[in-house]
Amino acid sequence: MQSSEVISVNIWQIIISICNLLILFLILKKFLYKPVQNMLDQRQSMIDKSFEKAKRAEADAKNSKLLYEEKLGGAQAEADAIVKEAKLKAQKKSDKIVENAKGKADDIVNQAKADAALEYKKAQVEIKHEITEVSALISEKILEREINTDDHRKLIDSFIENIGDSYDGNE
Amino acid sequence: MDEKRYSAKFRAVDTLLIIMMILPILFGITLYVLCTPESSGIEIAGARIYFTIPMPLQPLPITESQVNSWLVIISVFFLCLYLTHGLSADHPTKRQHIVEWGLEQTQNLVGDNMGEYFKDFAPFVAAIMVLSALSSLLTLVGLYPPTSDLNVVGGWAILVFILITYYKFKCGPVHYLKSYTEPVAFLTPLNVISEFATPVSMAFRHYGNILSGSVISVLVAAALQGLSAMIFGRLPGFLGQFPFLQIGIPAVLSVYFDIFSGLLQAFIFAMLTMLYVASGFPEEDYREKLRKKAANAAR
Repeated sequence: MQSSEVISVNIWQIIISICNLLILFLILKKFLYKPVQNMLDQRQSMIDKSFEKAKRAEADAKNSKLLYEEKLGGAQAEADAIVKEAKLKAQKKSDKIVENAKGKADDIVNQAKADAALEYKKAQVEIKHEITEVSALISEKILEREINTDDHRKLIDSFIENIGDSYDGNE
Repeated sequence: MDEKRYSAKFRAVDTLLIIMMILPILFGITLYVLCTPESSGIEIAGARIYFTIPMPLQPLPITESQVNSWLVIISVFFLCLYLTHGLSADHPTKRQHIVEWGLEQTQNLVGDNMGEYFKDFAPFVAAIMVLSALSSLLTLVGLYPPTSDLNVVGGWAILVFILITYYKFKCGPVHYLKSYTEPVAFLTPLNVISEFATPVSMAFRHYGNILSGSVISVLVAAALQGLSAMIFGRLPGFLGQFPFLQIGIPAVLSVYFDIFSGLLQAFIFAMLTMLYVASGFPEEDYREKLRKKAANAAR
C-alpha cells in the first residue's frame, strides 16, 4: 500500500478538509449549541415565571396583611363599641336599680311615717280616753259623790276636745 | 443524580450512543491494522493512501487523514447527541452540567477575544478546537493524526483566511484596498505579503508541530532501540534483543508531543482564528457605514 509524501499539496484534499470543518461546525451548532441554548432559554423563562409568581404571591400576602390589619382594627373598634354599650347598659340598669331602691326606701319611710301618725292618733285617742276616765275618777273622789257620769264625761270630753284641737292647731 | 430516575429506554439509548461514539475509532484501528504492511524499521511517510479517485486537475487520493477526519466527525456527532440526550431545564444531570460549563467557556472565550459582534462564532471556534484536538489525540490510539497532513490544516487555514477577508470586505472593496496602504503607502507590498502569510503560517505552525512530534517520537524510539542493543546486546538470547530502553521513555515523549502539543496547537489555532478575524474586521468603520446608510434611508 502506498503512502503519500510527507509534504504534498492536493486541492481536493484541501477542499475536503474545508468541508469537514464546516460540517463539524454545523453539527456542533445544530446538535450541541442549539438544544443547549433552547434549554437555557427554557430555564430562563421558567425562572422568570417563578419570579413573577413569587412577586405575585408577595403582593397577595401584603394585600391580605393589609386586609387583616384593617379587619383587626375594625374588630378592636367593635369590641370597644360593645364594651361601651355594655357599660352604658350596666349604668342604666344600676341607675334603675338604685332608683327603684330609693323609691322603695321612700315608700318604706312613708309607710313608717303613716304608721307613726296612726299610732300617734291611736295613742291620742287612748290617752284622751284615759284622761277622761282618770279625771272622772279624780273628780268623783274629790267630790265624793256620784255625779252623773255621762254628763261629766261629756263635759270632760268637750274640754279635752278643745285642748286637743288647740294642740292639733299648734302642731 | 439519582440513577433511578433514568428509565431503561433512556439508558439503552445512552449506551447505544456511547457505542456509536467509540465504534468509528475502533473501525479506524481495524482499518489501520488491516492495511498496514509489516513494519520495515524506521519509516517517516505521509498518510497511507487507501484508494485514488480520478478527478480533474489532480487525482484525489483518499488517505488516512481524510478517513480519520471523518471518523472523528462521526464520533463527535454521536458525542453531541449523547451530551444533549436528556437535557432538561429543571433537573440537570451531571452530564448536563459539564455541557453547560463547556459551552459557557467557549462562549466566554469568543466573547472576550472577538467582542459582542462575533457572538455566533462560538460553534465555529469550538469546531476548530474539537476537530484539531481530537485529530491530534488520535495518535494515542495509534492512528495517523490528520493534523499532521498539510492539506487538512491548510484547508482550515484557507477557510479562516476566507473569513478574515470576508469581514475585511464588510466596509466595501475601497475600504479593503485602502487598508493595505496603512500606515504608509510604500508598505503595501509588505502588507500584501503579511496578509497571505497569515494562513500559511497558521497551517505550517500546526502541521509542523504535530508532524515534528511524530517524527521525533519515531527517531527517539529508533535511537533508543539502537542504544539498548549497544548496551544490552551482549546479554544472552532474548534478553540481548529486548529493547529495554524503549520502556517508559517514549511514553514521556508521547505525553508531550501527543497530548500537550496537540491540545496546545488546537488552542493556538482557535485563538489565532479569533484574533485574526476580529482584528481584521473594522468594527467602528462598519458601524459608521451602517449609521450613514440608515441616515440615507431616513432621508
